[in-house]
Amino acid sequence: MATSTYLSNPLVTVNAVDLTDQCSAANLTRVIEALESTSFGKTARVYVGGLENSTLTLTMYNSFAATETYATLAALVGTSTTVTIKPTSAATSATNPVSTLTGCYLETLPIVNASLGALDTIDITFTGGVYSVATS
Amino acid sequence: MIYTIASTKLGIIGDPFIASDGINVAALLSGGFIVEQSTPKPKKPAKTSTDTNEEI
Repeated sequence: MATSTYLSNPLVTVNAVDLTDQCSAANLTRVIEALESTSFGKTARVYVGGLENSTLTLTMYNSFAATETYATLAALVGTSTTVTIKPTSAATSATNPVSTLTGCYLETLPIVNASLGALDTIDITFTGGVYSVATS
Repeated sequence: MIYTIASTKLGIIGDPFIASDGINVAALLSGGFIVEQSTPKPKKPAKTSTDTNEEI
């Protein structure tokens, strides 16, 4: 049985800004809302696809330095933007596709998440937008 | 409006920035990632005097 070793080391951009070096976790989930279409006479629930509502959640180190995390995100709260993520920093290819959410929405931005003796990290979630994937 | 990249997080500093679909340019400006580049005004043409006196 063929296996492959996959070391998670993705490349992440938010609003075209490369934030890979401030990101420690990323979770892109493609969601198509389920609309129930069960009717009389059925013995099991059935669904059809509704609107797309994908999400990208990032865990980031908070940095207030110039052109870092806060500078990138501060003006994006309450607006739409484009985020991309691909498995590795290598060239985009069929085995290293880049996924894009165009027009996704950033609803909340934690400003400070301080804890004594620990780095300040924040979790942010981009919701919605149009999902696309490119292999070249 | 023409923008120039001002941070290596976005690309090569000094290169022109062309926003792709969905990019929030205002956020990039306020974060200091790009700067507006003033467009040079076209030079006025040199004034030339036209001699309308016809010599007989």
